[in-house]
Amino acid sequence: MTSAVPDLTTRSTTSATARLKPVLQAKRPVLVSFTVLVITVVIGIMSIPSFWSLLSLRSMLLLGSFLGIASTGQTLCALLGGLDLSIPFVIGAADLGTLWLLNKGVAQWETLVLVAIACAVSGAIGGLISYRLKGQAVVVTLGVGYVVLGATQLLISHNSQNGASVFGTVPKWLVSATSIRSGVLGNTPPAALVWLALTLLVAFGLRRTWLGQGIYALGGNRIAAGRLRVPERRIWILVFMLSALMAATTGVLLLGFSAGAVADAGDPYLFTTVAAVVIGGTSLLGGYGGIGLTAIGVCILTVINMLLIGWGFTAPAQQVIIGLLIVPMVAMYGRAPHPRMRI
Amino acid sequence: MATVRAPSSWVRRTGWEYLPRVREAAVDVATPALLCVLLLIILGFRFPQLYSSNGLAGAITASAPLILSVLAMTSIAISSPGGIDLSIGPFVAFVNVGIVHWLVPHGLGNPLYVFAYAIGVGIAFQMIQGLLIGLLRLQPVIVTLSGYLVFSGLNLVVLPNPEGTIPHWLNDWGAATSVNTPELYLLIGCFVLWGFFARTTFARNIRLVGGNDKTAWVSGLNPVLVRLGAHIVAGVFVGLAGITLTALLQSADPTQGAAQTLMAVTALVVGGVSLSGGRGRALGAVLGAIAIFLIGYVIGTLNLGTSESFVSGLIYGAVLIIALFIGSITGSALGVRKRAAISTEVSQ
Repeated sequence: MTSAVPDLTTRSTTSATARLKPVLQAKRPVLVSFTVLVITVVIGIMSIPSFWSLLSLRSMLLLGSFLGIASTGQTLCALLGGLDLSIPFVIGAADLGTLWLLNKGVAQWETLVLVAIACAVSGAIGGLISYRLKGQAVVVTLGVGYVVLGATQLLISHNSQNGASVFGTVPKWLVSATSIRSGVLGNTPPAALVWLALTLLVAFGLRRTWLGQGIYALGGNRIAAGRLRVPERRIWILVFMLSALMAATTGVLLLGFSAGAVADAGDPYLFTTVAAVVIGGTSLLGGYGGIGLTAIGVCILTVINMLLIGWGFTAPAQQVIIGLLIVPMVAMYGRAPHPRMRI
Repeated sequence: MATVRAPSSWVRRTGWEYLPRVREAAVDVATPALLCVLLLIILGFRFPQLYSSNGLAGAITASAPLILSVLAMTSIAISSPGGIDLSIGPFVAFVNVGIVHWLVPHGLGNPLYVFAYAIGVGIAFQMIQGLLIGLLRLQPVIVTLSGYLVFSGLNLVVLPNPEGTIPHWLNDWGAATSVNTPELYLLIGCFVLWGFFARTTFARNIRLVGGNDKTAWVSGLNPVLVRLGAHIVAGVFVGLAGITLTALLQSADPTQGAAQTLMAVTALVVGGVSLSGGRGRALGAVLGAIAIFLIGYVIGTLNLGTSESFVSGLIYGAVLIIALFIGSITGSALGVRKRAAISTEVSQ
């Protein structure tokens, strides 16, 4: 009896922290990535005078929304335990294809529908092949990406244009949707609203629909999800289709931003989409993470990019630094368990 | 303990199954070998110059970097599931840039220094990757993708434009006047070296760790050390690939990386090396590299002009997907997929 009394007292004194600990554990990625975001923003405000100006914030938001839309698809693939390396190629293909169709005199909405269908089909094929060849999904998407972009360029170069770029008049609404100057709802670039809407939609979808729950189930444990009759093939196809559609959206928006189409428009997004997902805290092993984390990751990456530009680093040097940042970030969340934990 | 055997009537055996090793080797090597023969016949019609002494020498010089890169990737691919080295292209270009931009201007262009530098840097970088993959247990794709980014950026930081002079002795390497080139002997040497290496216990341990690291760990192997060893072996070949690339370019080119990575990955897959780990042989990988190189020659004979770059991207991508399919079909014919499925099921 006497020995039990101190036990009780210690338990009661530590109960507050003990109750907090699992919460902190579960929310660790959010806390870590949000802290990193705050730190980078503070560094930005202190070291670059115009960092907190309206123009700089607006341009960061605009650049972030291109990355954010493309990363949304990457997040879904990562939650499933795969990676979509075809995103940059689909962006380039959508970029070229849209302007090429517009130049041919196809109506605007018809163009968008055609591009969406083409990208969805290519994504679905990529998803199906990835599902069939499970362990090798990453390489499959790389191959699919090269085929999609190569086929688009072949199609475009058919009537004696060079396949690497298309010139023409971009629709006015697309230009103003992706311009730093124009703004709706208190000077927000419309592209950012697209990103916000997409993020909210996907967040809802991941929580409330069979597709979203199926993604988490499959990413967490494929065998168990299969036993629960989660339709694995359908989900793989749908997820890669959505990823391709979001990449296509990014490509079309980039068309408005750069007012001309180039094949390598998507090149920066090969790595940055993966980086945004990882820095946010979504595990690349599947099953843990979410779209909100990726949104934070996109913000961190955009702010870091702005910092590096502000400090006068060239584009290759920025690449090196972001490449070096990624390994410690993955090391925090994305480590596979030791063999002894898996037996 | 008495061994329990299934009655022979349970298992229907065909002739091949009595020779599992030979059968496995034949299945792995058949696809790239057939592809090579087919491409060589096509080239006999479209590009007969290939079969002259000059043509063959040129082909050896031009294909050496790819073959050596693919040998390096084979070692890494066997050592872990998903063990694909995406950084290979930019890193080989980095070795090339280093030789031309750092060694030659400082008078360190003699073969001893060049080989020591190339192999040393190769081993050092691969050791870092190996430790990150083995010790920190990060996914190989992420580690090597970040290596890809770092080195493709670093090459441009060090050397913004393709330029520079190579060591004198490498001029002869790139001259390609007779089949008797140093590259040929280097390739044969590497192949013989691999032949000895593949028969060591260490190589068998690499296959075991790559195929199933739980079994390997339970059997007393240290997966970290074994993977590190596989990466060190890869580092040697990566360094040599950098030297042959320098001989081929006769200069330094910081922008070589991306295309090289796609070609090497495609060659690896065509060569029957499984990206799920544990399975693959150098003969298949080398034949795969030769096939990919020959596809490039065939595309070159089509006279596509400006559209050549994306047509080749399209074709390599398509070959990659088809090769993956063939690999998965032959893999399941060998029961590899079934074994893999069982091991995943146990692990989950």
